[in-house]
Amino acid sequence: MYSLEIKNLTKTFGKITAVDHASFEVPDGSIFGIIGRNGAGKTTTLRMMMGIYLPDEGDVILKGVKIGQEFKSRVGYLPEERGLYKKMKVIDTLYYFAEIKGKSKKEVHKKAEEYLKRFELYDRRLSKIEDLSKGNQQKVQFIATILHNPDFIILDEPFSGLDPVNTNLLKDIILEMKQQGKVIIFSTHLMDFAEKLCDHIAMIDHGKIILKGSLKEIKAKYSQRNVSLTYEGDISFLNGNPIIEKIENFGNTTGIRLKEANHTQQLLKLLVDNNIIVKKFDANDISLQEIFIELAGSEEENLKKEVANV
Amino acid sequence: MFNFRVLAVIKRELMEKLFSKAFITMTLLVPGLIFVLLGIQALLYSSEKKNLRIDIISESSELTAAFQDDLLNSDYVKSGKYVFSFQTMNKDELKKYLNGKKQELLDEKLGGIIYIPTSAMKNKKLEYYAKSSQNISLFKDLDGPINKTLIDLYFHNKTLSKEELDFARLGVDFTGFKVSENEGIKEEGYGNLVLAYLFTFLLYMSMLMIGQMTMQSVIEEKGNRIVEVILSSVSPTELMTGKILGASLTGLIQMAIWLSPVVLVMSTTIFVLPKEFLFSIDATVIIYMLINFFIGLLTFIGLFAMLGAIFDNPQDASSGTMPVMMLMIIPFFIALSMMEDPNKPIAEVASLFPFASIIVMPARMTLVGVPFWHLILAFIINVLTFVAIFPIAGKIYRVGILRTGKKPKWSEVVKWLKYKY
Repeated sequence: MYSLEIKNLTKTFGKITAVDHASFEVPDGSIFGIIGRNGAGKTTTLRMMMGIYLPDEGDVILKGVKIGQEFKSRVGYLPEERGLYKKMKVIDTLYYFAEIKGKSKKEVHKKAEEYLKRFELYDRRLSKIEDLSKGNQQKVQFIATILHNPDFIILDEPFSGLDPVNTNLLKDIILEMKQQGKVIIFSTHLMDFAEKLCDHIAMIDHGKIILKGSLKEIKAKYSQRNVSLTYEGDISFLNGNPIIEKIENFGNTTGIRLKEANHTQQLLKLLVDNNIIVKKFDANDISLQEIFIELAGSEEENLKKEVANV
Repeated sequence: MFNFRVLAVIKRELMEKLFSKAFITMTLLVPGLIFVLLGIQALLYSSEKKNLRIDIISESSELTAAFQDDLLNSDYVKSGKYVFSFQTMNKDELKKYLNGKKQELLDEKLGGIIYIPTSAMKNKKLEYYAKSSQNISLFKDLDGPINKTLIDLYFHNKTLSKEELDFARLGVDFTGFKVSENEGIKEEGYGNLVLAYLFTFLLYMSMLMIGQMTMQSVIEEKGNRIVEVILSSVSPTELMTGKILGASLTGLIQMAIWLSPVVLVMSTTIFVLPKEFLFSIDATVIIYMLINFFIGLLTFIGLFAMLGAIFDNPQDASSGTMPVMMLMIIPFFIALSMMEDPNKPIAEVASLFPFASIIVMPARMTLVGVPFWHLILAFIINVLTFVAIFPIAGKIYRVGILRTGKKPKWSEVVKWLKYKY
């Protein structure tokens, strides 16, 4: 069952089409990742979902009904560029953000104290925001995002700019919210995070959705004939080998695409025969990064294309 | 458009502004400043030098005798403001005398020397020697008495009755009467003029201050990236409405505090103003003033919020505020220039002109009786101005608030109006 359906969302700014007829479906109780490079159209998509931008075309549908202003009260949104009123006290900030979601001080009072204690901010509740460290300000921002007990949590590049402690904290919150049956949608350009956290994804490139669906299914589909390899030595001898379609270096791992699925054993033998120290040999596995590059092309290739177009 | 979200924004804006240092200082400082200025003036007035020594030197003994008789009986001598001594000298003797008295004049031990040549009987030209040769208050004080003496002397041998003489030496005396439609004609002092100045200054200052505060707060929201978090709960129109209403209420509270002394003086008899400062306005002026001010605030704060949304930082904004500032500064100067002659056509036009009306009308209606339909018309014009401005300002605000990067050109801002947001 889908909780949110995004249909044909389109947004242009002058001559630039930021989002081009994007459609995807967010299932109930899932963690949904919108993946793409910087400038691919992720933020614009999320902003349209939040009603911050009016789409030129298309709708966001919640359980069969087009969303309106009231949807916003059911969402906790954490934009990529986030901020707080510097001169406001921590507790007043939390109350204010709850209030504009339609929750009174009384309703959230207990929960606010709970969260403040859990995040070790209870002693600072009467401090002004400007007196807090950056890390603590981020914590206040998380609490403000979830304090009104939203059904949906939409996070735009949630991990950018977070310190390691807060990164883990946010991950915990996301998983906790999932257990409570809430829908979490986040955008990221960090494929690792998406791969670890998401159930479903949509890949966006140049404003277009290039891939969408359950992460498991996508990986299964793209991982055939694929070997993920970690090794020590020189594998340049594999270039031009008839069983190999292509080799991609991803730094830590190397992705090898074979011409046929039953060539894996042959490849392993080749590596061993050539004295390569194989540390990890993962047949039928593929990283999201590899899929993305296969579909969208690598950064350099795109750059070349753009230069050629100019 | 008016809901719990707008209320929450209004509440926050009110709290933030009412308890800000800038607001508290300004709100208390301005009336304080007004009192200090009035006090200084009163002090200057009361501390005017007493017993100013003036030598009156005439060219003929006949003149000396006549002046001695008249001036020694004048009020100024009786009140002790001036001390006169009289002598008779010709031009050459005067020169020597002046040389001798030079040091005393420079030390201001001697206030001045007035020389009345015999030719004064023909052309009334006198000479005045002092450290500063332009002493307006002295000229004003002595103009009448000296003229009287000269006239008396001149007509002395001519056969004229005392009545004819009295008329001849009578100066023109203006008594100000304010003519208005409703009430009868009545005498009034400078009070209303002072009040008109006060209203003009307060309106201008409060709108400027609250407008600037709102602009700063929009820039802060934009610069600190709070705005996107807020916009995920509140629509841009709700946010702007809340901000403008919150700021306007703050302004209204400020103005009520500023006007309270005026209302107090009007409604009670505890405070006795000196006769020159008596003013006569009725409650409608105050009520109109507050309503007019509120609409003015809504309009100008809307514009300032729009400016705040266009710019990323206070530096860019301060250069960009000029067009909006002009909408306040020009009417401000029209209002000031109107004080000399409130019936100037430009005053009438300005008091009914969009934007200008807000600052000019209260001063105008304090000074002259304004037909009631003018007030209604001005009110309608102001409301229409606001109604016309709000969607434009709102649109620019909505587009601008999420923009960052380089300072946009005005031509780009105009293009924003066509965007679908």
